[in-house]
Amino acid sequence: MALAQKFLRDLEAIVGRDGLVATPEGRLTYECDMHTFYKGAPDAVCLPTSTEQVASVVRLCLEARVPLVPRGSGTGLIGGAMAPYGGVMVSTTRMNRILDVDLPNRCATVEPGLINLWLTNAVKERGYFFAPDPSSQMVSSIGGNASTNAGGPHCLKYGITVNHVLGLEVVTGAGEVVRLGGKVQERPGYDLTGVVVGSEGTLGILTQVTVRLLHAPEAVKTALAVFSSVEDASEAVSGIIAAGIIPAALELLDAPIIRAIEEGIGAGYPKGAGAVLLIELDGPRAEIETQARRAAEICRDRQALEIRVARDDAERALLWKGRKEAAGAVGRLTPNWLLQDAVVPRSKLPQIMREVVAISRRYGLVIANVFHAGDGNLHPLICYDDREPGQLERAVQANEELLRACLALGGSVTGEHGVGVDKAKSLTLQYAEADLNFMARLRRVFDPQNVMNPGKLLPSHPACGEAFQPAGTGRLPAGTWV
Amino acid sequence: MSIGSETQAAGRLGAFDLRDPPDMDGIRACVHCGICLPQCPTYRVLGEEMDSPRGRIYLMRAAAEGRVGLTRTLVHHLDLCLGCRACETACPSGVPFGRLLEATRGQIARRAPRPLGERLLSGALLGLFTHPKRLGWALGAARFYRRSGLQRLVRATRLLAPFNRLRAMEALLPATSPGGHRPLPEVVAARGKQRGTVGLLLGCVQRLAFPRVNAETARLLTWAGYEVLIPRDQGCCGALHLHTGRIDEARVLATHLLARFGREVDFIVTNSAGCGSAMREYPHWLGADRDVEAFALKVRDVSELLAEADLPLQRLDLTVTYHDPCHLAHGQRVRLEPRKLLAAIPGVRLVELADSDLCCGSAGVYSLLEPEMADRLLEWKVQRIAATGAGILATGNPGCLLQIARGCRERGVAIEVLHPVELLGRALPEPERNGWR
Amino acid sequence: MPVSSHALTDALAGIVGKDRLLTDAASLASRAVDGALPAWIVRPESVDDVSRLLRLAAEERLAVAPRGSGTLMGLGNPPRRLDGVLDLAGLAAVVDYEPADLTTTVQCGIPLAALAPRLAAQRQFFPLDPLDGSSRSVGGVLATNASGPLRYRYGTPRDLLLGVRFVQADGTVTWGGARVVKSVTGYDVPKLMVGSLGTLGVLVEATLRLHPVPEAEQTWVVSFPTAERAAGLLAAILDSSLQPNRLEILSGTAAARTAGAAAVAVSFGSVPEAVTAQGEDLVQIARGEGGQVVTAEGDFWSRPWGFLADATVVLKVAAPPSEAAALCGEIQHLATGIGIVAGILGEAGNGVLHVALTGTLSAAEWESRVIGALRARVAPAGGSVVVERAPREVKERLDVWGPVEPETLALMKRLKSEFDPLGTLNPGRYVDRI
Repeated sequence: MALAQKFLRDLEAIVGRDGLVATPEGRLTYECDMHTFYKGAPDAVCLPTSTEQVASVVRLCLEARVPLVPRGSGTGLIGGAMAPYGGVMVSTTRMNRILDVDLPNRCATVEPGLINLWLTNAVKERGYFFAPDPSSQMVSSIGGNASTNAGGPHCLKYGITVNHVLGLEVVTGAGEVVRLGGKVQERPGYDLTGVVVGSEGTLGILTQVTVRLLHAPEAVKTALAVFSSVEDASEAVSGIIAAGIIPAALELLDAPIIRAIEEGIGAGYPKGAGAVLLIELDGPRAEIETQARRAAEICRDRQALEIRVARDDAERALLWKGRKEAAGAVGRLTPNWLLQDAVVPRSKLPQIMREVVAISRRYGLVIANVFHAGDGNLHPLICYDDREPGQLERAVQANEELLRACLALGGSVTGEHGVGVDKAKSLTLQYAEADLNFMARLRRVFDPQNVMNPGKLLPSHPACGEAFQPAGTGRLPAGTWV
Repeated sequence: MSIGSETQAAGRLGAFDLRDPPDMDGIRACVHCGICLPQCPTYRVLGEEMDSPRGRIYLMRAAAEGRVGLTRTLVHHLDLCLGCRACETACPSGVPFGRLLEATRGQIARRAPRPLGERLLSGALLGLFTHPKRLGWALGAARFYRRSGLQRLVRATRLLAPFNRLRAMEALLPATSPGGHRPLPEVVAARGKQRGTVGLLLGCVQRLAFPRVNAETARLLTWAGYEVLIPRDQGCCGALHLHTGRIDEARVLATHLLARFGREVDFIVTNSAGCGSAMREYPHWLGADRDVEAFALKVRDVSELLAEADLPLQRLDLTVTYHDPCHLAHGQRVRLEPRKLLAAIPGVRLVELADSDLCCGSAGVYSLLEPEMADRLLEWKVQRIAATGAGILATGNPGCLLQIARGCRERGVAIEVLHPVELLGRALPEPERNGWR
Repeated sequence: MPVSSHALTDALAGIVGKDRLLTDAASLASRAVDGALPAWIVRPESVDDVSRLLRLAAEERLAVAPRGSGTLMGLGNPPRRLDGVLDLAGLAAVVDYEPADLTTTVQCGIPLAALAPRLAAQRQFFPLDPLDGSSRSVGGVLATNASGPLRYRYGTPRDLLLGVRFVQADGTVTWGGARVVKSVTGYDVPKLMVGSLGTLGVLVEATLRLHPVPEAEQTWVVSFPTAERAAGLLAAILDSSLQPNRLEILSGTAAARTAGAAAVAVSFGSVPEAVTAQGEDLVQIARGEGGQVVTAEGDFWSRPWGFLADATVVLKVAAPPSEAAALCGEIQHLATGIGIVAGILGEAGNGVLHVALTGTLSAAEWESRVIGALRARVAPAGGSVVVERAPREVKERLDVWGPVEPETLALMKRLKSEFDPLGTLNPGRYVDRI
């Protein structure tokens, strides 16, 4: 046990006995998020219920130089909510109230642990919704969404989380409680809200989030365009965007994924298809009618076999259930997988999809695809079985090759999942040393003692000059890059 | 059962032995996505990973991999699970959580030492609830306790306040209705054109605590055109044993029950969600036997058969809300039929209950073993029930009936708590008269 | 060790060439910042030039003001020090434009008006429309966080800047963000640069998100006798499924091109059928709210806003959107009460009002009776009043940005001292004169 008894007693004094998890069994269950490859149990987990408690925990850890790891619902895909150096994990699950809903100003203020979908559920009867819809939205927290700047299918039209965060309350790595932005859409000074969103808990711990709410559109139309190949579907995506149509969502799913979804959920996807596009248009009725006609023409020009339009809300909900739970259903497809989140310019989509097929063949591994095609944001799932010798190594190589191919086309390492420990080393593919150095210095401004989520987001700490001395016990698996 | 690269030395699977260990393929199917978390009652209350389905599966996996033993703490987190299986409904990967839990509890029951008091209590509860004779005797004593004024004395003096579990048991008492129902005959003929023959499971708690529910079930089935066979000496379905990890005892009971229900019936009908759910799982626990599989395929909740029938229901001007018993909604995926039936009664306005499929905290003997968690869930349930403004809450499981009735009574929420068949019975042209028909 | 001014001009000329170094009095006067005269002006032609210039400035402890088109040089507190002006108009190339990606990468000196035709040829546009005109440079628009009526639908620079190349105060060329529409790789550095007035780095190249030009567009103007009377219409539009491009409130001299003392102007851009259908819905709502509705001329938004040009003081007032109409009315009353004239054009749906005030008041009166009073009015709801233009004697009496909460300000100051410890970039001009 790395933490002193005195320290644990002090923690308990802040969060109460039932707010502290210190048993080995309890801590074990916090050792990873959805990316179970990276494991590192915290030395203690706190479950605070107020900003004051969070601030006290941060200050206590600062004093003792104990690493802090914030965690929401633990649904991240990057090894962000695990503790490579041990330390104290701060779980925000008990801070999950809706503090204020202000519909005349189209915004709400919530605690970070609130589940994304619960906010929409709370306002939908009055005709509003919270736009960012990561596929995990039925479980992921708004604090987690903001910390990772999560995306989602509807980000194509509505933008990612940062476009919907108006303000934050943050306990910084220096232990200060700062309020950034707010209901009012312009504030003098630097846009620190925009900087903290997506900072993956390396700058501070969010304790309140003020988000934009949108009014529901007049009409929604959801269709499934069926193709015999991924290439045809990709061509259709590029065609739709190039025609000036920005659907609310434009998702591509390939044959292996369709099979997993149909076995698991039975969402009504055509099992024999090579690929489908899930196309959703929303907005004024007259607009989407016209756009739907044109999108259908483009799909047919690209050899669509069939275009099905959801007839009612129930059919639409089922199509979306299939899409949103696709990652969860992958358990039916393969025992293990690596998930890529790279982005390519949208015009390069057909090209990169040909490359995905080639890599899959070259490595003899199934690569399943379910992704935000309209944004060029790929999610190839590289399937492997860790019980078969050599498969993991091949999967890692295939993953790396794919990432490099995306960046060679002018893309980005991660479109919405974030960096965490998983992609930290890949940042050098996208950024030069000066760029990373700037980020490291930015981090130091918020977190001068380097206690906030160490080992995440950046490959190292070029600005610090000295190596970070972890206070916890190092539990990072061999070969993991931090 | 396939076993992966996990520690499998000398006939062991990590901390488990190879007698009914949890299925590793089932554990590995969990991709750690967390979609189950918001559906889990204990996670909703505590917000802790180790008290969530994902966390519990992770602990099972860690035990199978030899990373953790069947320690007191691990056992505590598994004890706290209600076994409601809401996580199964949520799981896109098809993790069979209920079976994993039961298998793990089986290992714990056999191999993890528990304090004597706990063992005696859970043994006594099972011995009571799954033996109708003993339960009948206990209820007789309870009636004496109530009528003699002892109950008032105990409550006034808060004598049981320090003993959570005893207090929880005591609090359930007033809900148990008096006996006096004549026993049901062994065969009841169908009314009008016969659609088929069904065997009726009476259920241990149902037959004593709610005899009217069985009587109304039989009567409604005859109105629906079924001949109803009610085998004597049915015994217990073994559900409670299974849920508490007494797998071998459950097997004995299940085998007995199977033998009592002949092959001639078209369906085996139950009005108790927990029993129905367990009987559908028999093939998993009894092995791939054709008779067992045939039996499991015939199991129906009473609402499933009645929903297809054309009952001559008369007007009842009532506002009704419906609570999904976990083992009906999650264990058997029966959600629409009870609602359809209730809404079919002319004059009934069915209002949805928020979080209708969130466990009420009863969960077999759970409310007696883990009264604090059960009470918190009950509190939520009653709040949501009160918010509906309904005059009647219907739910198809004896545990839920007892628990919710108690919760509403204690919190002063004036609402009648009924099994759906009781309400349907009221809507039939000839009311049931103390007995049946 | 400081070099002599002679050696300095040689060094500067050595970087950009003699003809791109200006030191004549007329040029210097034309590039004064709030009355502060620079000693030299350089007009770099490459990112490398900018880098070398800033390295030199840092070495020589010089203070530099970056400049785009110069339109909004009046924004900010008067400089604490000013040695030279970095005129970026020469960095005006389109680096990359792939229409199918709906993105473009440009050098920051390029004026909006020069970029627009290239995009229009592909039926695309960059939807930032600051009121002070399309002559503004992309870099200037980003650095001052400028936006206009179109922000209602398309957002502000933070929503449209995908990637940015900038030169830090020590001359280090740095890139942040990405060239694709979606990226969360590392910190969102572009957000930090937006609205930072060049105090953390000089913007030299930007990757921008573009949008398709709507096929059809039409504007409706709904007039009211007072601004307050527009509140009902604004609330009704916000609480509807209408999707306007612009949702503006106009009052006082800004309402000159409308029929009332106040008006709401709403535009829809979509396929023609949807523009017509939404327009019909709007007209119905507007009549129900007692407004007088007309369709606007096609150049309603592109004509210059005269009320701004003549103003003595220009303020950007931000408040919760639901207060926009009431606030407009209050400002009109305030102006009438002290004998000045107000024109207000505001992004009502966002709660941002551009307030142009014309009149003769003493600096003290501007400070206390106008700016101070308005700040007190909007402060409780978290609002702000930024003085975008004012006579120097007014600016010297106050912080043009208004107050920032102490904890947040402390963080901003730490950022500034981390990235510009010598005060090379725009010293004194930003919040709290940092």
